[in-house]
Amino acid sequence: MFFTTTHKRINFLFVVIFIFIVAIIAKVFYIQVFQYKKLNTLAENLWSRNLPVTADRGRILDRNGNVLATNITTTSLVLIPNQIEDKERVSKDIAEILGVSYEAIYEHASKRSSIERVHPEGRGLSYEVAEKINNLNYDGVYLLKESKRHYPYDTVLSHTLGYVGIDNQGLSGIELKYDKELTGTNGAIKYFSDGKGNRLKLNEVYDEPISGLDVSLTIDIDIQLAIENELDNVVSKYNPDGALIIAMDPNNAEILGMASRPTFNSNEYQLATEEVINRNLPIWMTYEPGSTFKIITLASSLEEKTINLFEDRYYDGGGITVEGARIKCWKAGGHGDESFLQVVENSCNPGFVVMGQKLGKERLFKYIDNFGFGKKTGVDLNGESTGIMFDLDKVGPVELATTSFGQGISVTPIQQVTGVSAAINGGILYKPYIVKRLLEPETKATILENTKQEVRRVISEETSSLVRHTLESVVANGTGKNAYIENFRVGGKTGTAQKVNNGKYMVGNYIVSFIGFMPADNPQIVLYVAIDNPKGITQYGGTVSAPIAKNILKEAAGILNIPESKDAMPREYTWLDTKYNLLPDVTGMSKEEAVKTLKGYKIETNGDGDKVIYQEPEANTYVADGGIVRLMLNN
Amino acid sequence: MKRKCFDLLLFFCIIAISIFGIVMIYSASYIWADYKFHNPYKYVISQGIFFIVSLVIMVIVSKIDYKLYKDKANLILLVCFLLLILVLIPGIGTVRNGSRSWFGIGGLGVQPSEFSKIGLIIYVSKYLSTNEKNIKYIIKGVLPLFLVIGVFFFLIMLEPDFGQAFVIVVTLVAIIFISGVNFSFFVKIGLCALLGIVGLIIAAPYRMARIISYLNPWVDPLGSGFQIIQSLYAIGPGGILGQGFLKSRQKHFYLPEPQTDFIFSIISEEFGFLGVLIVTSLFVFIFIRCVKISKRATNSFGKYLAFGLGFGILIQACINLMVVVGLIPVTG
Repeated sequence: MFFTTTHKRINFLFVVIFIFIVAIIAKVFYIQVFQYKKLNTLAENLWSRNLPVTADRGRILDRNGNVLATNITTTSLVLIPNQIEDKERVSKDIAEILGVSYEAIYEHASKRSSIERVHPEGRGLSYEVAEKINNLNYDGVYLLKESKRHYPYDTVLSHTLGYVGIDNQGLSGIELKYDKELTGTNGAIKYFSDGKGNRLKLNEVYDEPISGLDVSLTIDIDIQLAIENELDNVVSKYNPDGALIIAMDPNNAEILGMASRPTFNSNEYQLATEEVINRNLPIWMTYEPGSTFKIITLASSLEEKTINLFEDRYYDGGGITVEGARIKCWKAGGHGDESFLQVVENSCNPGFVVMGQKLGKERLFKYIDNFGFGKKTGVDLNGESTGIMFDLDKVGPVELATTSFGQGISVTPIQQVTGVSAAINGGILYKPYIVKRLLEPETKATILENTKQEVRRVISEETSSLVRHTLESVVANGTGKNAYIENFRVGGKTGTAQKVNNGKYMVGNYIVSFIGFMPADNPQIVLYVAIDNPKGITQYGGTVSAPIAKNILKEAAGILNIPESKDAMPREYTWLDTKYNLLPDVTGMSKEEAVKTLKGYKIETNGDGDKVIYQEPEANTYVADGGIVRLMLNN
Repeated sequence: MKRKCFDLLLFFCIIAISIFGIVMIYSASYIWADYKFHNPYKYVISQGIFFIVSLVIMVIVSKIDYKLYKDKANLILLVCFLLLILVLIPGIGTVRNGSRSWFGIGGLGVQPSEFSKIGLIIYVSKYLSTNEKNIKYIIKGVLPLFLVIGVFFFLIMLEPDFGQAFVIVVTLVAIIFISGVNFSFFVKIGLCALLGIVGLIIAAPYRMARIISYLNPWVDPLGSGFQIIQSLYAIGPGGILGQGFLKSRQKHFYLPEPQTDFIFSIISEEFGFLGVLIVTSLFVFIFIRCVKISKRATNSFGKYLAFGLGFGILIQACINLMVVVGLIPVTG
């Protein structure tokens, strides 16, 4: 054919073009199918911008759900420089509202970043300020909701709660220790932006922030408030160098309350020195415990049966000589002949030296170790100290003697409370803890629960029971009298510890303490009070610390629903003390009869008639001489 | 070939692809048009006017016997030549995107190089059909033709518009190729070009690296690779079915000139692989019809003309699409 060549060549070029087209289609298929994921991710990154939405930090609650640390919503300013058209005007107006320099805001507004946080000038804005900025209605100026930490009780429990920085990061206390759990996951408003940085009106995604977990403590806010209140009184009354109180449930070593002075306000931590903030005295401070430590010597001796409290006797002539060193009793002239029960009641140092000698250093130090002294208790708080023990090889007769009555060694308050709890709870040492559970904030579901953790059995139930009895008699008859509460069974021990300065004991400068528990037959609370160098009062634990402990224990009885008891050890009276008598039952008697029976009491009557139908207080409660008894009369 | 034999299939294909083009120009351009001219319909209105004018011209042209073009080929080429000279004169020709290649008429613009393409196709078709005996001889037949083509190539390169000049030359060479010029001639041209390239690479091996880096835009994502990467960001996320009509994101100031060179990227983004298949199928179909017409033509001028016009459209489309999908580098 005439056109054969032409037609062949047309077909050839058609095939060439067709191959081109197929190559293009194949390449598009490759891009859209095989490279889809990669390109889509890259492109999403190019298009999308994130406006961060901060997650709420978990709250801190007490054991009953009272809020100790929470969040209040504030607003903070964020600029998207690309979207601001007139940077000068926007900067001027914002600087005016915030009351800061124009230059500072202009610098933020002209940063080459996609999202600029106006930090610190634009953080934590009040509603009024935020409203004003919002009313400007400028493009590229955003207000983001932010949460700010708030501690409704201000100074209460501040050492333990700690505080957070401006970005809500935990910096001390529980806030630091449980920072990971408390911190939520920030969310974002993800929007798409065009090539010039303007917001597009399509496909906005709200990435919801996940709130942090609530932390529920073992603290009981009412007990805590009682403690804080007493500490405030102590400070105003005695102006001590320091003061601390811990309350613990001895049956599981949960901390019910703890506080110390000097203190600070978690909301205004900037005003306090780092020293004050970081020293959580109940776990940080170490000092020679003094006589409260005698409980450990007592419990060890009873367990080893090296003394019989009631039958073994000791003659205290005012001191004892150990390896040529004279150890004096605090009572000039000594206590004379006494049973070992009285040795404890009188807190007689020479008597305790003898107790220590009977045990021997191996056994005494084994028990000290078993009661948890000389190492951290492992409480879930930062900043715990270890304390200082004698190296067993270096313990001679003098060291053994002083350790027996709590001098020469150095311990922390938390060690004492935990150790004494073990001595009186039936003999088991538990690991103390302050975080009870972690809760999911919406559903309140428990994510993690701490339960009591037994470290070891230290003494037997029977020994522990005997320790309780002995310490109850210390309060009823001995040095702890000032902690005696009518109709409640209180046990305890005072302490007046000498402080060491430059290797020497200081004169007239003591840490006066009291450790008590209640009720003595079935302890629900152990309370430790220590006051460092109180001024203007005789520095004895019995005179300063015991009355404080008494006030708190009285309140704790109501808070913990500890019932009154008729079986309390009767108190031994000195001429200083008011005498308490058991009130007889006068209901059913005639008025005249009742008045005769209640001789020595002040009587107030109520109602007409001649027959007593009701009396207050009830029969068989202790009432002081000259106390008021109200009678309800009827016919 | 019968007079007034109107290829309906070709007609509908072209109408379909034109209307789709108008719609996509709207989708691709309204953001830019609104930003630059405060009128989102700016580009789509021009394109609509062109479409209507083109329809009118098409009706007129379809009434004219194509043999008339053969008679007037020299005159047509002369007019094109003058227009190409005129456009280079500042004040008459306007500059767009760095090339003085436009006549502004109101808000619209026309490129004389486009007319030259048609004029040259007519001229070359005529030349080849009237010199069938001479074209076997390189010096007597082909060389004069190449001289004419060379002059036009030179004029268009003065604007400069390399892309357009390249398309025209390739189209004309394709027409010369089908006219039956010795295959060895093309093989020699091809070999020379290949040897030249190989020689250059051997002389300086870094050129190879440069070619490879042109093909891999990620090497320089903010420079030479920028446009291709932006194009890939449009095509890739389109996936099989696309983001949906008007839902392109890359047209929001990411992809430069989305309504012109890179409109195919926006089509891929909004209609996905399916849209790409439809558009390329339409092009192939148009070419098939042109080839068919060419083969049915009873005289060589008609054959060359029909094939040349179809090939011109296709080669231009192919080069554009290959650039957009990253098969060949952006500049040349």
